Amino acid sequence: MIRFENVTKVYDQTARPALDSVNLEIDRGEFAFLVGASGSGKSTFLRLVLKEDRATSGAVYVAGQNVANISSWRVPRLRRGIGVVFQDFRLLPQKNVFANVAFAMQVIGKSRSIIRDTVPEVLKTVGLEGKEHRMPHELSGGEQQRVAIARAVVNRPGILLADEPTGNLDPTTSMGIMGVLDKINQNGTTVVMATHDDDIVNEMRKRVVELRNGIVIRDEARALYTSMMPVVGQSRRFKDASGRPDGSAADPGDGVASTQSGEEL
Amino acid sequence: MRLAFILSEIGSGLRRNLSMVVSVILVTFVSLTFVGAAGMLQLQINQMKGYWYDKVQVAIFLCGDGSTAAGCATGTATPEQQENLRTLLESPAVAQYINDFQFESKDDAYKHFKEQFSNSPIVDSVTPDQLPASFRINMKDPEKYQIISETFSSQPGVETVIDQRQVLERLFSVMNAASLVAVIIAGVMIVCAILLIATTIRLSAFSRRRETGIMRLVGASKTVIQLPFILEGVIAAVIGAALASGTLWAVAHFFLGEYMSKQYPDTAFISPAQTLILAPALLGLGATLAGISSLLTLRRYLRV
Ligand SMILES: Nc1ncnc2c1ncn2[C@@H]1O[C@H](COP(=O)(O)OP(=O)(O)O)[C@@H](O)[C@H]1O
Ligand SMILES: [Mg+2]
Repeated sequence: MIRFENVTKVYDQTARPALDSVNLEIDRGEFAFLVGASGSGKSTFLRLVLKEDRATSGAVYVAGQNVANISSWRVPRLRRGIGVVFQDFRLLPQKNVFANVAFAMQVIGKSRSIIRDTVPEVLKTVGLEGKEHRMPHELSGGEQQRVAIARAVVNRPGILLADEPTGNLDPTTSMGIMGVLDKINQNGTTVVMATHDDDIVNEMRKRVVELRNGIVIRDEARALYTSMMPVVGQSRRFKDASGRPDGSAADPGDGVASTQSGEEL
Repeated sequence: MRLAFILSEIGSGLRRNLSMVVSVILVTFVSLTFVGAAGMLQLQINQMKGYWYDKVQVAIFLCGDGSTAAGCATGTATPEQQENLRTLLESPAVAQYINDFQFESKDDAYKHFKEQFSNSPIVDSVTPDQLPASFRINMKDPEKYQIISETFSSQPGVETVIDQRQVLERLFSVMNAASLVAVIIAGVMIVCAILLIATTIRLSAFSRRRETGIMRLVGASKTVIQLPFILEGVIAAVIGAALASGTLWAVAHFFLGEYMSKQYPDTAFISPAQTLILAPALLGLGATLAGISSLLTLRRYLRV
């Protein structure tokens, strides 16, 4: 569904690349965490998928298409196939819950009757039944993020990108949001979530792609936030490599991050 | 659905930026009024040319009581001198340049004068004796005025030869200068209008960056994102152009039609209906200005 081939992104010639020769494939229906410290390139990865920015070199494929070959007037169509949620929710403060979700359908020309049918359905999926007429400021942070998720998926995109969606939420609320994302993933949507919330990653046991300084240093299925395997360039060594939950990960002696995509499907 | 959505976006944009929208309306109104004024002056010049050019003539004024010209040494032109001039006008050498000519006696001149200045008190202080008799010549080709002038100026009994067209030309050149000034003022005002529209659009795009950001992310087309902004500017400019057109019509109707045409009854002024030809041009110009300046602004400030 998403494939990065040797992708490098340089914003500023004088600085190190935000992404450095990234090779990665995320299959249809997968749920992948993108983890790493602040500035490691997670948001950049997501922006390249959306064609918000252009890769300096290498190729980004979304749904089999090289995004570099998508002409600017067809970029909207690419984006209709991708839902996005952010840490700061980005709701429209003067519109109520229903109108915020409906907005995403109005602007792509969906008919009023389809909107009337679809929006309540999606609000039910994210657990906001009966709150259609609340204004954003009358909602908790978790509820606001659910509205944002509803808006991102209301047009049934094949991919949902989430950039630190739980960054502003407390742990309990965050787990609720993860439940919603998981449900959406169960319905067949590919989910890529950038985060540095270790509790969530450890709880979910999904694929984890770890970035450091723009380099993929780990790609592990059903993984924890912190690697259980030694990694190139990492001075710290784990004494007990067998402690990792997923025996399919790379050979501990090898030390090279392996790519094992979509094996949980 | 999409149309209804764009319309509601335009409505909310206009309300949110009301003071800027009002200033765009006023600036386009003033600048297009100057453009229209220049247009009206040109229409008026054409009108007067059409009206006068077949009427205006070369006039040979005969010597009167107080004439001091060289040919007037013998005082008021005598009937013989008059006859000589008439013969000369009928001679083949001169007749080839003229269509026809008329003699206007002092009494005729007094009658015309009275008609022309009927509402003016000056009429009462003028007597037929003070007005010179003249030959009024209708030229085949008005450009050949010089030939008539050379032939007749030195004839005895002739005070002066006047090309009335030149008098009109002087009036027209004043009017042309006035319309040039109007065009220059209009040019400056149009620059103001363009800059103001650009600023308005920029503010509008800034105040709605949340919405447009979301629209981009959910895959709204460039048209849906940009059209409300462009139409906002176009609507404001078109309102300004409509006000300008209305003003020009009012000027033609009330000032020219009701006031000037009474003051100068023998002058053909343009009718209010004629100013309406200018209206589509002004509306088109207003819409184009706004469209172009908002497109250029959006390209810079509203990434898609
Ligand atoms: N628009 C930008 N212009 C210049 N540098 C940028 C821009 N966006 C990100 N960067 C740089 O690229 C690197 C990766 O940033 P980012 O992808 O936002 O990381 P993360 O989301 O993991 O925190 C950082 O060093 C950041 O400073
Ligand atoms: Mg980030």
